[in-house]
Amino acid sequence: MTKRPRYGLYLLVIISVVISFFPIVWLILTSVKTTAGIYAWPPQYWPTPVTFENYWTIITQSPELLRYVLNSFIVGVGCTALTLVFGGLAGYALSRLNLKFAGFLMVGILAVSMFPPVSLLPSLFQNFLQLGLLNTYTGLILAHAGLFLPFTVWMLASYFATLPVEIEEAARMDGMGFLRIFLTIVLPLSWPGFVATGLIVFIFSWNEFPLALVLMTQNAMRTAPVGISLYPGEYAFPWETISTATVIAIIPILIITAIFQKQIVGGLTAGAGK
Amino acid sequence: MNAAYSLDHRRQMTGMSFVAPTVLLIAIILIYPIIQSVVLSFGQSSIDGSEPYEFVGFAHYAKLMGDERFWNSMAVTFTFTAISIPLELMLGIGLAVLLNESFRGKGIARLAVLFPWALPTALNTLMWRWMYNADYGLFNAVALQSGIVDRPINFLGDEWLAMFSMVVVAVWKTSSFMALIILAGLQSIPRDLYEAGRMDGMSRWQEFTQITLPLLKGPILVALIIRSMDALRTFELPFNLTDGGPVIATESLSLYAYKVIFDFIDFNFGAAIVVVQFLVIFAMSLAYIFVLRTRN
Repeated sequence: MTKRPRYGLYLLVIISVVISFFPIVWLILTSVKTTAGIYAWPPQYWPTPVTFENYWTIITQSPELLRYVLNSFIVGVGCTALTLVFGGLAGYALSRLNLKFAGFLMVGILAVSMFPPVSLLPSLFQNFLQLGLLNTYTGLILAHAGLFLPFTVWMLASYFATLPVEIEEAARMDGMGFLRIFLTIVLPLSWPGFVATGLIVFIFSWNEFPLALVLMTQNAMRTAPVGISLYPGEYAFPWETISTATVIAIIPILIITAIFQKQIVGGLTAGAGK
Repeated sequence: MNAAYSLDHRRQMTGMSFVAPTVLLIAIILIYPIIQSVVLSFGQSSIDGSEPYEFVGFAHYAKLMGDERFWNSMAVTFTFTAISIPLELMLGIGLAVLLNESFRGKGIARLAVLFPWALPTALNTLMWRWMYNADYGLFNAVALQSGIVDRPINFLGDEWLAMFSMVVVAVWKTSSFMALIILAGLQSIPRDLYEAGRMDGMSRWQEFTQITLPLLKGPILVALIIRSMDALRTFELPFNLTDGGPVIATESLSLYAYKVIFDFIDFNFGAAIVVVQFLVIFAMSLAYIFVLRTRN
């Protein structure tokens, strides 16, 4: 690479970064304005004064907004745990155990992963209604797990395929069963794969909208994206509350993405190319 | 039975038991509901199962063919897809080339472009709706104060402007996804190809069009198909930005299906809509799998 300063390159990079960030920054700025400041003319570009009043109001007066975040968290963790256990076992069997229908199953799983969620809605809603699973964590966790299992299986199967097979073969010679090999040898070796997959699935679940909208009809059970979207009611849109709640709901995702950027990017691009 | 056979038999049984929970859950959550949607679309029934299912043949599909609102939602969905995907692709390639250069602060730059993709679409959309706001939004504040316009622009109130505003949000959100997939492809191009090009006296642009682009065909195709399927089922973007409005100018297929099912409470007609949508997207997914298989 050349050594001369490349101002054009930096200019383009800065433009990209600013465009990516500014809606988020504007949202955060809005959330720390007073209500008068939000609706002021001339517009307040910088909040004067900076206030955390909106955050305090949400904590003291609108606990349902915090409940949405809690719901998202419970569903995300449940869904991630379930997909990692099921998907780990399936991915291991499909990549390592020379199953007769492995190829067919992998392609079939890939094909169903592309089903549009909206086409599941009439039947899932009806089934969940009749089974009493509407407005339960179990229901949405199962739905999300079903939705994201195909991705998990593909991610983990391709991760297992990169591990050396010799250790497992030696363990077979010693008479170890497949489940024990999986638990004591494969799992400890493949935790980076599990971390990357788990983080992406958690983000998917946190962000999922149509199923969360339809399967959680009670206000108290809604997830963060749905609860905040439906919060305003019919006509008045309380932007001071919405902006603040949105900031609270995206903070976990911002933190996870910032810390695990490499794993997430690696996982996504591998998942897409396979 | 010899030992090798029984060993393989045990392996197959164990393997099947490992795969079983996944297959079962996928069958319950993904496969059975699709079949059920097809059944619903050919009949008349009640949501809670209190009335018996009555077979009506293609009646709902016949109604669908004459339903202007359905065709409108098809047109909206395909217009949205056809405008946003080329823009995302161009920006995605540009971003990928940019992020493939080495410069200081690259990690932060990559993180910044990843954020829009990682955040929930529903909430991204709310952020933009706030900026588009006709009375208090950032865009109108800047436009009015700088004197570009003397009346506020009604971004979400005009048919074409609303579609344009929706495309902007989609492009903002997903160009980074395109960029990441293409970037992975870029990084796999061997460096010495460029050195050879340089020896032949190629310009940077010739390098890009004659070496880079042809080698990126695979990743670009993958990114295009994944994004097209995404765009064809777009739901929360119009749901939160415009609720399909003004009138039905931005009502996507998914949004229309949702309204038929949950606002008009017509499950059977709604099922016909989602089955049509399913067939369109499934055809694309088969194309995708075909592309991947021929590549490998």
